[in-house]
Amino acid sequence: MLKPILLVEDDKRDLELTLIALERSQLANDVIVLRDGAMALDYLRREGEYAERAEGNPAVILLDLKLPKVTGLEVLQAVRADAGLRSIPVVMLTSSQEESDVLRSYEFGVNAYVVKPVAFDQFVSAIAELGIFWAVLNEPPPGSLKATRRNE
Amino acid sequence: MQPPEVDLSSCDLEPIRVPGSIQPHGRMLVLEPGSLELVAWSDNWPIGQLQAAQQALRGTALPALQPGARPVSLGALRVAEETFDVAAHRSDRHLFAEFEAALPTAGNEAPIYSLGRVFLPKLQEAGTLEQLTQLAAAEMKRLTGFGRCLIYRFDAAGHGEVLAEEADPGYDSYTGHRFPASDIPQQARALYLVNQFRLIADAGYTPVPLRAADPALTAADLDLSQSQLRSVSPIHLEYMRNMGTLASMSVSIVIDGKLWGLISCHDHRPRFLDTGTRLACEHLGQLLSLQIHSKESNVAVAERLELRQLTLQIVSHLSDSDATLQRLVAEPSLMLRLARATGAAVVRDDEVWSVGDVPVRAQVLELASWIAGIGTDVYESSELPAHFAPAAEFRDVAAGVLAISISQVHRHLILWFRPEIVQTIQWAGNPQKPKAAASGRIHPRLSFSSWAEEVRGRSAAWTSAEVGAAVELRQALIGVVLRRAEELAAVATELGRVNKELEAFSYTVSHDLRAPMRHIAGYVDLVAQTEGRQLSERAHRYLGHVKDAAAFAGQMVDALLDFSRMGRAALKQRLVDTKPLVDGLVRELARLEPSRRIEWQVDAALPALYADPLLLQVAVRNLLANAVKYSRTRNPQRITVRAIRGELGNGLEVQDNGVGFQMKYVDKLFGVFQRLHRAEEFEGTGIGLANVKRIVERHGGTVWAKGVMDEGATFGFVLPHREPGNDHAVGTPRDNGEQHA
Repeated sequence: MLKPILLVEDDKRDLELTLIALERSQLANDVIVLRDGAMALDYLRREGEYAERAEGNPAVILLDLKLPKVTGLEVLQAVRADAGLRSIPVVMLTSSQEESDVLRSYEFGVNAYVVKPVAFDQFVSAIAELGIFWAVLNEPPPGSLKATRRNE
Repeated sequence: MQPPEVDLSSCDLEPIRVPGSIQPHGRMLVLEPGSLELVAWSDNWPIGQLQAAQQALRGTALPALQPGARPVSLGALRVAEETFDVAAHRSDRHLFAEFEAALPTAGNEAPIYSLGRVFLPKLQEAGTLEQLTQLAAAEMKRLTGFGRCLIYRFDAAGHGEVLAEEADPGYDSYTGHRFPASDIPQQARALYLVNQFRLIADAGYTPVPLRAADPALTAADLDLSQSQLRSVSPIHLEYMRNMGTLASMSVSIVIDGKLWGLISCHDHRPRFLDTGTRLACEHLGQLLSLQIHSKESNVAVAERLELRQLTLQIVSHLSDSDATLQRLVAEPSLMLRLARATGAAVVRDDEVWSVGDVPVRAQVLELASWIAGIGTDVYESSELPAHFAPAAEFRDVAAGVLAISISQVHRHLILWFRPEIVQTIQWAGNPQKPKAAASGRIHPRLSFSSWAEEVRGRSAAWTSAEVGAAVELRQALIGVVLRRAEELAAVATELGRVNKELEAFSYTVSHDLRAPMRHIAGYVDLVAQTEGRQLSERAHRYLGHVKDAAAFAGQMVDALLDFSRMGRAALKQRLVDTKPLVDGLVRELARLEPSRRIEWQVDAALPALYADPLLLQVAVRNLLANAVKYSRTRNPQRITVRAIRGELGNGLEVQDNGVGFQMKYVDKLFGVFQRLHRAEEFEGTGIGLANVKRIVERHGGTVWAKGVMDEGATFGFVLPHREPGNDHAVGTPRDNGEQHA
């Protein structure tokens, strides 16, 4: 069983387009979709609504920068501050090219920062590349490794 | 008595208060104040009269004397068949009694009464200082019978200037002359304040030494400051004899506790004054002092009032305006009148605004720097070249300066100027001439013949009222300037806030607009891909338009975001060689449109510019891309890139042979989203030139455009030369592009 990809996105069109892109990239991972930062943190910490979910961290978090309630940057900060979550790769997906957003994301320890391209085919390929790199090829840090790799 | 060997340079050190001797026209007793025991006495008491005199004193009001107070007349005392006018005073340690033979009064009226009856009313009528002093000189001469009577005033440097004179035939006239300050040494001036009357009845006198009861007592122990009989300096006696004067008398004119001047009388023959006349002389001196004081006060008050009025006018004028200090010179007559100046200048750092006759700008700036360096709020000089050597160059317009400093932080000064007045001063003797040394002895002042001196490098002096007015103006201006600074700070804060809001707005708009553009583009693609086969040709065309429109809107949003970012991003400036930059861009543009035949002419030597390399590239790319775009219809397309080198800076100019533009629209070219062509003719967001302008201006440079309709356009810019000493350049500065391989 592959670890799932956690997608945190509030815009339903972006969500649909991202899902189509992930589908086209032919990744076998499940995609768990959450619509805001607070839910994302509950899920990751197995709290509230997600207290009963099965153990295990996602392969990667695709995080929209602008989220209601708890922003992407705040989710990122919380993940990096939590010993149990720290090692999950986080990719920031955003419309913003603002230098300050990029800088702050990197300050908080983001693994990648992707500006969503306007053209759809470019968007598809960007998402596909991301998924393949972070969910499949990326070697997780030692210690966090569980026998959940695709080829096992 | 042997005249002491003296060096005139030691005049200031001569112990004139404690000469240890008196003049022979009187006698002195020095007593212990409590016991009235004899401490010392003049050597001219006949044998046996000492005790009689001491006895006579016992019957008087001696114990009431206050130490340091002026002498008190004890009236006539008889001592061994002789009648004396006796005056007494106390020092800290001793009691002094001075005895002078009483003379029968001349006439039936004491001299002092005629002063009150005749002189005072005349004095009150006198309108000017000249009239006052002339009256006083005449009255003094009448009162004393001295051959010549002068009234003179000391200037700031201590030189005496003769204001009035009354002289008998045969006496030299000193009207308008000046006596050098060195004629009266420091301690003598101090004594003129303590003891305001002095008589030397006979310059040829032999001093009478004082004898002490206790041999241990020395001359230095007996302070004769207040004594009427005090023996004067032998130097002074020699001075008098040189002057042909055998008797002299002086009364101090004291105003506000300062020695303002002297009434000075001379006679060719010895002349004695009785007590009554002496008292009248002292009284006359006091009356004159009071009158001069009130006259000067009135003049000063009137002057102050007038100047304050002017200051108010200037300041109200300034507060009404929205401008800064430079507005001061907009109303020249007020400024000049305030300080009775012929020129004035306002200096703000390196800027100068002036009115009237002033030195040239560089000289004003140099002077302002020097004055600012002194660090005082107010500076004044009426002989500027003596303090500031470069002023000799412009003394014809500014030998005198009055300056106020408005800010200690910035160089903000206001200066008033007065031209040189060449004065001819008649000195009674050359004040600079070393005292002639004849026959091995140093003599004071052998020559009193007039000596004319031409004084240069001086202006009329600034009066205290004028300086006061400048100080008041300074206070008022500081108030105005401070208020203005506060207002500016408030405006700046508000601007900053508005700017932040605008940035946030454009950021949000650009950011949030990108998403819908992306969605449109995305869904259009999806429709085309999934339903493509079922769609008509026309529907495909429509979808194509939707996609193009979305893509264009996306570019526009990106451009807007770039533009907003360009205004905020910090410049990382270094020296950038523009030759490889231009060559690289030319290659890139050629690659983008391989089908076009463009004749590029790029100067072999392009300048190195001090700029942020990334932003500079954005600017140059915009100019080159524009040239390519707007010459598209030409065959061949010709684009020229030239170097611009000038005093204000270096830069580039890009010329094309394209569609050009009408010069009347030149101002619109650089505006955000301004286009001069219909969108279907030439693609683009219309923000490129706005970006170029913003980049160039953030570097402190300038942009320009020249165009001829249907013939082509030229766009250029220059950036300022790098500031010297600010060399953070990476790599070698290379002005010569030919070196670049």
